[in-house]
Amino acid sequence: MTVAETPPDYSGAHKGEDKTFEGVWDTPKGLRVLSSVSHRVVGRRFIYTGFAFFLIAGFLALLVRTQLIVPGNTFLDLETYNQVFTMHGTLMMFLFAIPILEGFAVYLIPLMLGARDLIFPRLGQFGYYCYLFGGIIVLSSFLFDAAPDGGWFMYVPLSTQAHTPGLSADFWLIGITFAEIASVTAAVELITAILCARAPGMSLTKMPIFAWYILITAFMIAIGFPPLIIGSILLEAERLLGLPFFDPTLGGDPLLWQHLFWLFGHPEVYIIFLPAAGMVATMLPTFVGKPLFGYGFAVAAVVSMGFISFGLWAHHMFATGLPILSLSLFSAASTMVTVPTGIQIFCLIATLASGRPRLTVPMLFILGFLSIFVIGGLTGVMLASVPFNWQAHDSYFVVAHLHYVLIGGMVFPLIGAFYYWAPHFTGRMMSERLGRWVFGLMFVGFNVTFLLMHITGLRGMPRRVATYPEGLGWDRLNMLSSIGSYILAAGIVLFVYDFFRSRRHGPIAPRNPWGAGTLEWLYPPVAPGFNFHAIPPVHSREPLWDQPDLLEAEAHEVEGVMHGLRDGRRETVGCDPVSGAPLYILRLPHPTWVPMIAALGMALLFGATLASAYWLSGVGAVIALAAFAVWAWEPSDSGVTRDAGMGHDLPVNVVDRRSHMHVALVGTMLVLMALFASLVFGLLYLWNIRPDAAAAVARPEALTAGLGGLCGLGVALAGQMTRRAALADRFGITTVLSLLTAALAIAAAGLLGLSLGPVDPWVSALGATLWAIVAFTGLVLFALVFWALFNAARRTARRVGPGQSMPDFNLATLAKGAGLMVVVAAALFVAGAYGGVG
Amino acid sequence: MESTLNVFGSQDTSRIAGLAAGETLWLTIAMSVAGAVIFVIVMGLVALAWRGRGTARAWWIIGGGVVFPVVVLALLFTVSTLVLRSIAGPVAPAHVIEVTGKQFWWNVIYDPDGRALRDANEIVLPLGEPVEIRLKSSDVIHSFWVPSIGGKMDMIPGRVNRLTVTATREGRFRGQCAEFCGLAHPLMAFEAVVLPHDEFDAFLTDLDGDASDAVTPQQRRGAEVFRENGCIACHRVAGLSEAQIGPDLTRIGQRATLGAGMWDMNTGNLAGWIVDVGDMKPGAEMPSYNQLSGPDLRALVAWLEGLT
Repeated sequence: MTVAETPPDYSGAHKGEDKTFEGVWDTPKGLRVLSSVSHRVVGRRFIYTGFAFFLIAGFLALLVRTQLIVPGNTFLDLETYNQVFTMHGTLMMFLFAIPILEGFAVYLIPLMLGARDLIFPRLGQFGYYCYLFGGIIVLSSFLFDAAPDGGWFMYVPLSTQAHTPGLSADFWLIGITFAEIASVTAAVELITAILCARAPGMSLTKMPIFAWYILITAFMIAIGFPPLIIGSILLEAERLLGLPFFDPTLGGDPLLWQHLFWLFGHPEVYIIFLPAAGMVATMLPTFVGKPLFGYGFAVAAVVSMGFISFGLWAHHMFATGLPILSLSLFSAASTMVTVPTGIQIFCLIATLASGRPRLTVPMLFILGFLSIFVIGGLTGVMLASVPFNWQAHDSYFVVAHLHYVLIGGMVFPLIGAFYYWAPHFTGRMMSERLGRWVFGLMFVGFNVTFLLMHITGLRGMPRRVATYPEGLGWDRLNMLSSIGSYILAAGIVLFVYDFFRSRRHGPIAPRNPWGAGTLEWLYPPVAPGFNFHAIPPVHSREPLWDQPDLLEAEAHEVEGVMHGLRDGRRETVGCDPVSGAPLYILRLPHPTWVPMIAALGMALLFGATLASAYWLSGVGAVIALAAFAVWAWEPSDSGVTRDAGMGHDLPVNVVDRRSHMHVALVGTMLVLMALFASLVFGLLYLWNIRPDAAAAVARPEALTAGLGGLCGLGVALAGQMTRRAALADRFGITTVLSLLTAALAIAAAGLLGLSLGPVDPWVSALGATLWAIVAFTGLVLFALVFWALFNAARRTARRVGPGQSMPDFNLATLAKGAGLMVVVAAALFVAGAYGGVG
Repeated sequence: MESTLNVFGSQDTSRIAGLAAGETLWLTIAMSVAGAVIFVIVMGLVALAWRGRGTARAWWIIGGGVVFPVVVLALLFTVSTLVLRSIAGPVAPAHVIEVTGKQFWWNVIYDPDGRALRDANEIVLPLGEPVEIRLKSSDVIHSFWVPSIGGKMDMIPGRVNRLTVTATREGRFRGQCAEFCGLAHPLMAFEAVVLPHDEFDAFLTDLDGDASDAVTPQQRRGAEVFRENGCIACHRVAGLSEAQIGPDLTRIGQRATLGAGMWDMNTGNLAGWIVDVGDMKPGAEMPSYNQLSGPDLRALVAWLEGLT
């Protein structure tokens, strides 16, 4: 209970000093609840919205099955059918599976790790609204009679302007890219939260297994989504501006899209599977009453799965005419992923064996997961065999396989997770009796629907056909599959009924109802908005099992750090990323509308672009940028020290590499680098695959490009000097140096652009890609300039106190990343000038 | 849109009529059986573990998660590679057939480097001889697949893919586009007809000449209707027109199916097609000719059926 020492007040400890601890963490009431930034509110919104998309996409699946129930059916016409199956896949993959799992992660991670909130609550709110608005854009295409109908994979040239005129493909590209912002922001947020905000003593090796799964998944999202984002932007640019990235007559290649799509699309499968597997590995030990057996093996398996998943993408392209050698390599790599999967499965089996399992509803779903997913894995191994793939690819065999993997690997654990964690959302238990019916209906319905499809596929039925002639041996199989799908749907409907019923009539959940070992059950459901009065030190992976004092005392009397702190601010403890030792106090933002306004600005930008009202797009961009500036304008919180209890005197924020701000920026740089690398991949791919076309492209000016590269080095150097000066609290020099960084960045962007003067982006794919690299590098440099000027302005406006040099510390990191991109781009241009690329 | 087509050639990977399909079927059965056994073992282990009561050992994870899969996968990969070599290894093809995918039909050229004999929507293969199918596309990505003969290969604009097939059984085998290609993707099929060597040669020789002459007065009128209504602007009928926008009709009367493998070739369907294409094949670019008088329509159909 101290006040700031010197005027002006840089402590930030004045926002809600009149409020109680509980009052500070209160969720706003009424409409203002939309301004909430709490991970609990945002996480639940992700979950509920994701489930709504699941129901819509499931309904579309029923339309598909109804159309296919008999041969030659006319229930849906061809166009509607194509829209329905496209939207089914799109909604399931992009707007259900990943967002709902991220929702669970956003909700559970702070509770499990002993944090009062995620570290970037406003980013969470921003991401949610991007997801919501993006999803609405995609769905609204139905209202405009322009629902996408090119498949969830959007292969070119079918999805180009020539073959899909109108707006349907644009709805898909723009809406999905918008919604993907949420996935990427959530990834950065989760990486930072897991590394920087854990209970005292929770080292990486003591983290709950779920956090490991989410950490790896988040890294995979950060690296895996960029290829699709780049692909979507290139395709939209081809549709909107006529830049010929994929046009084979101008040196482009339709397969470039497939490479970019599956570079994302394959890791995506694991991005969906891993969080669900993490839920299983969390729930199963609870019902066995023993810790997860082989924790170390499981972690190693998840990490290696993350790496391997990026080397398999071409097994979706075995029938595209790749050379036999590549086929064999990708085939071998694809079978390799069985090893980490097998390790995880056997960790679960060994855990089962180490105690006395209880057959609860979540456990039933885990058993369902085990049996279904193992079949999906085995058929996956079959598909990795090239000759078999040549028969089964794009047939119903693959439809069966992918649903075994995704429904078995994700939906069954998810429904189990709802039964398990429902007390967190409703304070009540869901029904054990109805739950068994839900499981039975889903399990039987699922297997009737999809087991038969293996045979349908081997009998030669291709995917994505709106109808089929009778007499080919598919009639009865399809009839049965359709009946199975209705049974599966009945299970889902019963689940929804049970969920809503239990909100009112379920038995009140006791504290730690399942007898779990993880920290999210410390409080009786529903846990208070601040998660923890005091954050208890943790020295076990299952603290509730191994630290009896935690459950013996009333939850709000549990001893821990941060208990007595009364700054009137939302705060949690920041830790050393490896050891989990308390390092600093993290000040967290309070409810605010700013992220929502930023997302609305983005929605206006995307929506107006879709409507070809480009001036309005500009307005949207300005609103978003202004909101970002307001977001970042508030005074820095650092430089003061507080007594956090239990003998910890902690500073508010630290200014070094372990700071959450720096960790988050490194995560962001990972995303930016992956975006940049995707473009470079495209350039090198086209250069390599179409040497004839490459030779015909005009050459960049080597000297100008080289000068641009030098400026890139200068940017990195000036950024680093800015950091040094800021750390030494030399305000004047820092301002000058950050302005110098900005000036060099502008010069670098200008020189790179000038060096491409002779290259016309509209006449060759390679030229267009060169310009895309400049555009992207320019965008990163623009962000750097924005940041540098913004820092200078804040310093001039005296928003920065002594020791509050984190923004400048991070400027250096961004400057080095941007400088690296400039240098790589310049090197490529120089190589092109002499070697014959573009 | 109910199809009246009742008799199809098989479109089934297990009713084999080609080298690749045969080898792959063997591999499929082997992998399915192995997969079923592994599934039963794993589920058995789950059941055993359920009654385990504290018996977990670390070597289970190593054994079940690493050693066992590595051994099985090494075996599988070896077998799979051997099969791959036997079906995709280098072979000198006896014939070359160029097939170009179009929304939503197939343009076929026999011996494209030599005589360049044109046909559409049906592919005739010689029994027991390796044939290189040269796959192209003129619009979007399609995929060539005859399950009974085996293999699948995409047709990608700007690229030429090659698939070597060897038919091992006489008969008619249905193929279908396997890559989603737009509105009428499900209606884009064809038949592969496998003929003995001599008949195949005779077929090619036959294809080399002009279309059969109109014999009856009605057929002669039919040819006039064909010309007067502008059909010649799109369709090739050797000796009459050389347009190549729509399918080649030079021997349409000989084909067993209509509309790219979708309908039985008979008088009623042919007349229905001309009068209302959109009903029989949505997405087809051909306009409907419902303004034709009854006698003209009958004449046109009679003439087309006589083109063999």
